[in-house]
Amino acid sequence: MTKVRRQPVAISIPDRRDAALTLGPALLVFAFGFLSPLINLAIESLKEFTPGRVGSVENAAATVQNYYELANQAFASVLLTTFWIGGVAAIIGQLVAFPLAYFIVRRISPRMRTLTLGFLITLVLSSVLIKTYAIELTFGSVGIFRPFLLTLGLSPNSREYINIVVIAGLVHSIIPVATLTLIGAMQSIDPRLLDAAQSLGAPGWKAHLSITLPLSFPALISSTLVSLTFAISAFVIPMVLGRGRVLFMSNVIYTRFSDIANYPSGAAISLVMLAAALAVVAVITFAQARRVSQ
Amino acid sequence: MSMQSFAARTGDRIAGSLAYGVIGLGLAFLAIPLVITCVMAFDARTYLGPMPPPALSLHWFERLVSQADILASLRTSLILAVLTTVLSVTIGTAAAVGLARGNFPGKAALTSAFLSPLIVPPVVIGFGLLLFLSKAGITNGMARLLLGHVIITLPYCIRTSLASLLGSDQRLTEAAMILGATERQAFWTITLPLMRTGVVTGAIFAFAISMDDVSISLFLSDPSATTLPVTLVSNMRAAFDLTIAAAAVVLIAVTALLIVVLDRVVGFDTVVGQGLFRS
Repeated sequence: MTKVRRQPVAISIPDRRDAALTLGPALLVFAFGFLSPLINLAIESLKEFTPGRVGSVENAAATVQNYYELANQAFASVLLTTFWIGGVAAIIGQLVAFPLAYFIVRRISPRMRTLTLGFLITLVLSSVLIKTYAIELTFGSVGIFRPFLLTLGLSPNSREYINIVVIAGLVHSIIPVATLTLIGAMQSIDPRLLDAAQSLGAPGWKAHLSITLPLSFPALISSTLVSLTFAISAFVIPMVLGRGRVLFMSNVIYTRFSDIANYPSGAAISLVMLAAALAVVAVITFAQARRVSQ
Repeated sequence: MSMQSFAARTGDRIAGSLAYGVIGLGLAFLAIPLVITCVMAFDARTYLGPMPPPALSLHWFERLVSQADILASLRTSLILAVLTTVLSVTIGTAAAVGLARGNFPGKAALTSAFLSPLIVPPVVIGFGLLLFLSKAGITNGMARLLLGHVIITLPYCIRTSLASLLGSDQRLTEAAMILGATERQAFWTITLPLMRTGVVTGAIFAFAISMDDVSISLFLSDPSATTLPVTLVSNMRAAFDLTIAAAAVVLIAVTALLIVVLDRVVGFDTVVGQGLFRS
């Protein structure tokens, strides 16, 4: 059966009342619960902070001081940590997800396929807390991977050890999502192309390198960036596994809120983080637009 | 056998075993921590000792259910997840119908606006909501949490409903109306049942996301309304013991149940095919 995607026809909602009825509630929730808080956040980030006060003073003077204060080494290192740990995790995730997705699409029986997909979807839907806790149990003081890391010469309290555990936590969440994203692209690659390349004499690995990889390259790029977006907005994983030594941007926002109640500064960091996330999404959109135009 | 094909075969064998090695290690890395957690939850020791446990017992589970704060937050989480699901699915399905059928300028922009909470880091949403709701004078913890959870689940519900609505055959609705059904009748008897897959998928995602969220709930929880993940995180930071492993086993069981429902009602291939994930 071929699927024909049709444009919705014009037996559409005839009057404005129905449009208001269907779209109204969502618009209301969106405007009140999402748009207004973000605008308010932008305004708050320009307010002067009075130490010892919760939140900014009502008619505080407008200032860029909160942004200016972020231009120091401490925040730069937080930004750097977020991006490099997130980037490493995103890339390791793709290195596993790519062959795994191919394997699920082409190499296993329908039964095993359902089982593997079920496992991956379970991982996507299961709580990030459980995964974080499980990683801590596995790599922590009683974990079975601990002796392994120790033989590599890593002291459990060293920065490297903690970095590896945080990366492991992120990768654990990234692999399932990246695999499920890549499966879609792999499914649309005609397997006959690979057969053709091989029957024309190309060895298998070369055929994959010249067929499978280029054809799924755009999907691989967007999967990498989606993983990166996930990693740079991670909160629980660095908070629990980082033991206060690895701080991501979101952890600093939370500290500004919970420890020192400097809301204007928290708001400024929020906007920096939002800008970072939007930049990554802009790259994805650009890559996808190029794919369509090609 | 020529030299060249020998080299090619060797190359293939190496590349093949490399790929299988990576896949095997990857799957093991995904599964082992969860298995360890499940085994350790039944550890009979009263302290956190190395794997494997010398004897099994249910005492961590007993401790889990004897903790008043955990039970209270579990209750809050369940109520919140049900309310979130009902609200998100209702609002999201209605919005999907409006987006699919309406003919107005700026429809594409509105659709991406509705999906945009997916790309904003959750912590930013949580912090923004906290500041805004405090300013607006909304201090009820449950109301704050509900709004926060609806914001992050609504995009999923809209996306899945919209996908199944656009994927289903509109001619069926036309046919019903040609045969004399009113617009309302056609909606309830034809359009809505055709959207079932998307609605159910959206509902399962909304429930799972609401049960799981920490980033937003941590900002919006108050002593009167604290969710289970927030309680677990603070326990995790205070003392690392195995009651959390017991809680994890319970949560994994709930997720597995949701997955079975998802497979029975919708099928995994549909879920994967719709591309439910952020992009």
